[in-house]
Amino acid sequence: MSSEEPSANIAELHHKQPAFRGLEAGHLACPGCGQALGARLVTEAIGPDVIIANATGCLEVFTSAWPRSSWRVPWIHSLFENAPAVASGIEAALKMQGRPTKVVAMGGDGGTFDIGLQSLSGMLERNHNVLYVCFDNEGYMNTGGHRSGSTPHAAVTMTSPSGKKRMGKRHLKKDLLAIIGAHQIPYAATATVAYPSDLRAKVRRGIEIEGAAFLLVHSPCPLGWGHEGALSIEIARLAVQTGFFPIVEMERGAVVNAMQIRNVRPVAEYLRPQHRFQHLFSDSPEAREELEHLQQLADYNIERYRLTSGQSESRDTEATDTVMRGGMRWS
Amino acid sequence: MPILTRGSFANAATSLALKTGDWRLQRPQYRHRSAPCAVGCPAGENPQAYIAMVAEGNLRGAWEMLVAANPLPAITGRVCHHPCESACHRGSYDQPIAIHSVERFLGDRAIAEGWNYPLKPSSPDAPRVAVVGAGPAGLSAAYHLARLGLSVTLFDAEPEPGGLLRSALPPYRLPRTVLNSEIARLLAVGIAFKPNRRVGRDVSIDELRADFQAIFLGPGTSRPREWSVDGTVPSDLRTGLDLLREWISIGAIPTYNRVAIIGGGNTAIDLARVLKFSGVDEVHLITFQALPGPAVRREEAMSAAPREIGQALEEGVTIHDRRGVRRLIMRGNRVVGVETVHMKELGTATGERKLVSFEGTETILKVDHVIPAIGQQLDSSVFGNLLGQPGIFVGGDARSAAGTVSGAIGDGCRAAIAIRNYLDGLPPAGDEMPRPIAFDDLNINYFDHAPRAEALILEVEHRSAEKEIEAGISHQDLNAEAHRCFSCGECMSCDNCWTLCPDNAVLKADTRDGWRYAFDYDHCKGCGICANECPVGFITMFDEQ
Repeated sequence: MSSEEPSANIAELHHKQPAFRGLEAGHLACPGCGQALGARLVTEAIGPDVIIANATGCLEVFTSAWPRSSWRVPWIHSLFENAPAVASGIEAALKMQGRPTKVVAMGGDGGTFDIGLQSLSGMLERNHNVLYVCFDNEGYMNTGGHRSGSTPHAAVTMTSPSGKKRMGKRHLKKDLLAIIGAHQIPYAATATVAYPSDLRAKVRRGIEIEGAAFLLVHSPCPLGWGHEGALSIEIARLAVQTGFFPIVEMERGAVVNAMQIRNVRPVAEYLRPQHRFQHLFSDSPEAREELEHLQQLADYNIERYRLTSGQSESRDTEATDTVMRGGMRWS
Repeated sequence: MPILTRGSFANAATSLALKTGDWRLQRPQYRHRSAPCAVGCPAGENPQAYIAMVAEGNLRGAWEMLVAANPLPAITGRVCHHPCESACHRGSYDQPIAIHSVERFLGDRAIAEGWNYPLKPSSPDAPRVAVVGAGPAGLSAAYHLARLGLSVTLFDAEPEPGGLLRSALPPYRLPRTVLNSEIARLLAVGIAFKPNRRVGRDVSIDELRADFQAIFLGPGTSRPREWSVDGTVPSDLRTGLDLLREWISIGAIPTYNRVAIIGGGNTAIDLARVLKFSGVDEVHLITFQALPGPAVRREEAMSAAPREIGQALEEGVTIHDRRGVRRLIMRGNRVVGVETVHMKELGTATGERKLVSFEGTETILKVDHVIPAIGQQLDSSVFGNLLGQPGIFVGGDARSAAGTVSGAIGDGCRAAIAIRNYLDGLPPAGDEMPRPIAFDDLNINYFDHAPRAEALILEVEHRSAEKEIEAGISHQDLNAEAHRCFSCGECMSCDNCWTLCPDNAVLKADTRDGWRYAFDYDHCKGCGICANECPVGFITMFDEQ
């Protein structure tokens, strides 16, 4: 039995969806883009009454091929380094006008960990009522896949190749969360496209909170990480289940919540489908050592953020996105 | 034509004009796949589909969908060996769905509420079909023929309908009230029931051929298989089915002290339990089949339902599995013991399998009676030469040796369709089912563990032959069970595809054929996330031309 072609008028359906969609189809992201999905989920959770300031990066480029835009909400792009500053200004102006419109700043990891860190720090320090969302795909993917401060240790990028001297990136992933925490802002959290319920809840929390909020969203990049587009969610899920990317919440700099890992997977399960880590599976002592190094980093995360309690709970890695007939889990 | 804006801004959502679907190498499509329970059901039920209706709270709809295949769910929910549950993919995750409990709940609810089949009465000039035998195959055929609008007359040799359901199933497995309610509702759809008519004795096949345009034969197997050990037959030999029938109809069974029952099927187990309930000290069951277990292949295992075997063991029946009877030890023409020997099925050089007995493993078992329960065969003196004749259709035990109630019900349904096609001059219909889904095609990351609803079973000391041993499950457990279902191969409208598409290319549409999404192929880039993350395997990727 084959399914029939849709009888409905697709163009009309785009305007009849039961939930608000802030980012529309026709954008130019690669197939399976984690960031495009992340931006979709974030804008849907925020709703229409928002102004977005976007740093330079993939998201900015693929959603705004002039003279067209994929956004359904007011959206501005200025420079790589100043999205938090632009957002701060918008927020201050709206405050003067007494308007309740929310302000959100978005950037990739390049614009957040490296290039825009100064203005981000300023925005957080002044405690503007802005939610900053960083879509973390762990490299400068827009400009050809260069390493960033967020690229994990040992990952191969165009500028951190693997060879005789080095097994990919020499340095560690910058501990941005600790930097954000040092600003003592009301709310900061990490999330991932693999757990949309958790992501949505954190976006709503960040929006509701008065003052600066920060959300780091792990967003797989099929092109830059070297995996099948179909596996984006699966890989993002494994990043959490291995402890490689901890899902935590911070208030005033203190970790107050962490998504528990029910069944901890070996980090190799996360690394193996990705081309950027393939060299770690070659038969050499260096490769074995680096692979073990990454396993130790994941174990350290589990220890540091207390990611295993040994008990099952309703918001852990196995139960957070349990499906329900009729899509009930989204309501 | 894009609208060029005056200045560096763009209008909202204008990117919809870009047809990024051009990039696509593979196309996702919603595809029905067959759930393993539906593939495994001999009665042709689709448990996945009616369990989905239970999950939606529509019990009546679930029952109506169930009886579109099987008109006797309160019976099969109790007595079927439920191969659906052995096939259930949830069994590879934690425990299979308790499908038999769901089926039984729906069947019992229908009896309690007096639900009737959603059937239209057949027209007076409808073709006339005779159904011979009111056992499960005949009842099912009669019901399905009526469902297809044909006029049905049902003949049976016994005074009451039910066949083996009535004569060979003890009340602790199938209470008479349930049996009577199910059959009464079935006959009430306009089936003319003619009791006490044994074909070949009271009515001839030629008479039937003269009066009816087609005949369905579901006479079952009434002739016991010949049984002896090297020609030795005890003078007081009775077959297992014979004893069981006698006990069920008159409530009495001869008093034995130590009995050996030969056979590994349901009749052997039922008889062993009845004997145990009526106070026989030692009940031994000897079978060359193996006790079911994880390491035992399906074909090697005892053909009785594992649940019944387990209960029989609890009640004190001794099972000697993988044993054969080598010799009867006689005193005069009475049995005083049997010599058993270890047996196992082994592969031969030609790749066939044969039973091998092992020298040096002979054991003497002292018993005062031996009861063969090795099955029946078709009474070929009446039916033997009819098979294959035009206008005559056969089903149930008469057609296949490995008879089960659910298999007979499935036969009845298939035969009814074949008869309708025959009368309409159409070719026989093939079994059309979508491709079955493999466990690996599900995404079980989206399910969480939950315990299976287990029915309450009477403690051994409270059991008797007359009281039903297994209870039904509660409504609450029913709902929990329905929500445990993986919904293999069928959309459960979980919104995963709609939520996880990076391109907004999955849109909610009006409900069509059970699901409510549509792909926007103008924008779908074919990344395959939807197919990979679909929990139920309802989305398949196909190469673009």
